[in-house]
Amino acid sequence: MLKTLPLCVCAAALAVAGCGKAGSDNGAAPQQSSQAKDAAGDKTIADSIDHNGKFFAAAKSVGLDATLAGPGPYTVLVPSDEAFDKSESAELKNAADPKNRAQITRILTYHILPGVILSDDISKAIENGQGKAVLATMGGETLTATKDGGNIVLTGGDGSKATVAKADIKASNGVIHDIDAVLMPPKAGPGSEQQQPPGK
Amino acid sequence: MTRILLAAGVAALAITSPAAAGPHGGGHGNGGRHAAAQNHGGGGGHGQKAQKARGGGQHARQAKAQKARGGGQHARQAKAQASRGGGQHARQAQARERGHAKQVRQAQARQNRGAEKRSMQAQRARANDRAKNIRTAERVRANRQNEIRSELVRRNQMLGRNNTPVLAVRERAAELRGRQFRQLAEARNRELARVQRANIVRARDWEDLARGGIWMDGCPPGLAKKPVACIPPGQANKLLGQRLRSVGDRIAFRDLPNRLQYVYADTPDYYYRYGNGYVYRVNRSNDLISSLLPLFGLGYTAGQVFPSSYPYYGMPAAYQPFYPTSPYANYRYADGYMYQINPYTGMIEDVDPLLGYGYGYGQMMPLTYSAYNVPYQYRPYYYDTSDSYYRYAPGAIYQVDPSTSLITAVAALLSPNSLAIGQPMPIGYSAYNVPYAYRSTYYDTPNDWYRYSNGNIYRVDPATQLVTALVVSALT
Repeated sequence: MLKTLPLCVCAAALAVAGCGKAGSDNGAAPQQSSQAKDAAGDKTIADSIDHNGKFFAAAKSVGLDATLAGPGPYTVLVPSDEAFDKSESAELKNAADPKNRAQITRILTYHILPGVILSDDISKAIENGQGKAVLATMGGETLTATKDGGNIVLTGGDGSKATVAKADIKASNGVIHDIDAVLMPPKAGPGSEQQQPPGK
Repeated sequence: MTRILLAAGVAALAITSPAAAGPHGGGHGNGGRHAAAQNHGGGGGHGQKAQKARGGGQHARQAKAQKARGGGQHARQAKAQASRGGGQHARQAQARERGHAKQVRQAQARQNRGAEKRSMQAQRARANDRAKNIRTAERVRANRQNEIRSELVRRNQMLGRNNTPVLAVRERAAELRGRQFRQLAEARNRELARVQRANIVRARDWEDLARGGIWMDGCPPGLAKKPVACIPPGQANKLLGQRLRSVGDRIAFRDLPNRLQYVYADTPDYYYRYGNGYVYRVNRSNDLISSLLPLFGLGYTAGQVFPSSYPYYGMPAAYQPFYPTSPYANYRYADGYMYQINPYTGMIEDVDPLLGYGYGYGQMMPLTYSAYNVPYQYRPYYYDTSDSYYRYAPGAIYQVDPSTSLITAVAALLSPNSLAIGQPMPIGYSAYNVPYAYRSTYYDTPNDWYRYSNGNIYRVDPATQLVTALVVSALT
C-alpha cells in the first residue's frame, strides 16, 4: 500500500499536468469556428482556381483536380498561364498527352505543400531560418523560400525562381498563392535513383 | 467256491452300479450336496423334479440294499451292543452310519468325474461330426452351383450362335447413330470454318489499317510503344486453331530466342515458334496453333533471370509508390512492363503491364491493392462505394473504378515525409502550417511548435526539433 500510494499520486499529478498542457493549447475544442469558416470561405481550392487556366487543365489531365477538391488541407502555388507559356518544360506544353502524365504529376505535386502555410508563416520561417526557409512539397522534394525586398521568392530544385504575386487566397481546404513562374523539381527525382540489384 | 464268491461280487457291483453310474445319482440323502455336485459336474440339463424322482427311486433302492446288507449287521451289532449298554450302542451306530455315508459320497464323486469326462468326449465327437457334415454340404452346394453355371454358359453359347438376327439389328442401329454423329460433326466443322474465315477477314482489315498508315508503326496507337508485342491480344487469340502455314504470310515466324529455348523446349507432341511478341505452340500431328504465349515487354517472363543490361529502377514516378524496392523484392520498369525480381536469385517473379506510360491515373490499380487500406483519419472521407473504391499507396489515396480497376483520380495526396512522434521534425516543416480551424488552438510559442502532416497536428520541441506528441487529428 505504501508503495502503490506514491505511484497513484504521481499518476494523478501527471494527469493534472497533462490537463494543464492541454490548457496551454488554449483548451478550446478543435472545431471549425465561424471565424475560421469566414476566413476560409466555402469554396475549395479546386473551385478557387480558374478552371480555364493552364494549371487547372494540367491538374485535371493527371487526376489531381479531385485532390484539390478534397478535404486537404493544402497550400497550392499556382503559376499563371503566362508562366506556363514561358516554361521550357515540353511536358507542360502538351499536358493532354498521356505520355507526359508522370512528369506533369511530378511538377504539379512540387507546387502543392502540406497544410495551410500563409505568407506570414513563410516570412516568419524565413526570419527564423536566418533568411531562408525550406518547404516540403507533396511530391517528396523541397523548395526554398527567401525574401527579396517585401516579396517572397521561391526557388525550385533546378534553380528556377518564382515570386509570390498574390498571396493568401483562402479556400475551405487550404490556401492558394499565385506565383509568376513554374518551379521545377530537381533533375533527377528520388525515384529515378540508380538502384543496383544485389549481386549485379 | 472262489467262483461263487466272484460271481456274488460281480452281482453286487451290478446292483450298485446303476445308482452310482448315473450322473445324477443321489441316494445319500443329502439333497443340498447332491445339487452342488450336479452343478459342479456340469451334467446339467435336467430339472430338479426329475432328479428327485430318479434320485428318490435310487435312494429307495439304496435304502433297501443298505437295509438288506446293513440291516442284519445292525441287528447283530445291536444284539452285541445291547449287552454292553444301550447308549454306547446308539453312538457307535451313528458313527458307523456317518462313515458309511462318507464312503458312499466319495464313490459317488469318483463316478461323477468319470461320467463328466465321458460326456465331454462324446460332445467333442458330436461337434466333429457336425463340422464334417457342414463341409460335406458345402462341397455339395458348390458342385451344384458350378453345374448350374456351366449349364447357363452352355445355354448362353447356344443362344449366341442362334441369335444372329438380333445382333444384325443392333449393328444397324449403331450405324445409324454413327451417321447422325458424323453429320453433326460435319455441321460443327463447317460452322468453325465459317467463324475462322470471318476472323481472318477481320484480321486482314486490321492489317489494312496498319498498312494504310492510319496506325503508327503498324500498330494501334495504344500499342505503338510496344514494338515487341504489337498484335493486340484479341487479334492474336484468333490465330488459335489455325494452321501455322496459313498465318505464315502475316507473321514473321522464327525460332525461339536462345534465352527462351529451355523454357519452351520442343516435345514429341508440340513444337514452338516465335513471332510478333508471342510464342506459338504448334501441334505436330495437325500443324495447328494450339496455344499462344505472350512475352511481355522485354520478352522475359516469370522464372527467367532478368537481364543485367537493365540495372536501373526506371519506374515512372507515379508508379513508384506501388512498387518500392525492398530487401524482399526489386522492381524494374522496361518497355511498359514492371518486373518484380528476387533480389537474391535475380529471377523474375512477376510481370505487370503498366500500359506504356506508367502513371497511376488512368492505369490499372495493381491487384495487390485489393483490400481497403485508407489511413484512419481519411476514412470518413474516402470509403468504398459501388461507384468507386479508394486505396492508399505511399504518397496518395487513389480513387478506383470497381468495374475496370482503373485509377480514376488521385483523391488525396499524403506527404511522403510525415512527422512521427519521437523522431526529428523532417526538413521542410520550418513554416507553421496548421489548418485554419486549429490556429486559434495550436499556435507556436517559444516552448511548443505545432505542425500539420497527413491529417494530424503534432507538437514539436523547438529546442530539440523532436516531435513530442500528436495533439489532434485534424480530419476527424
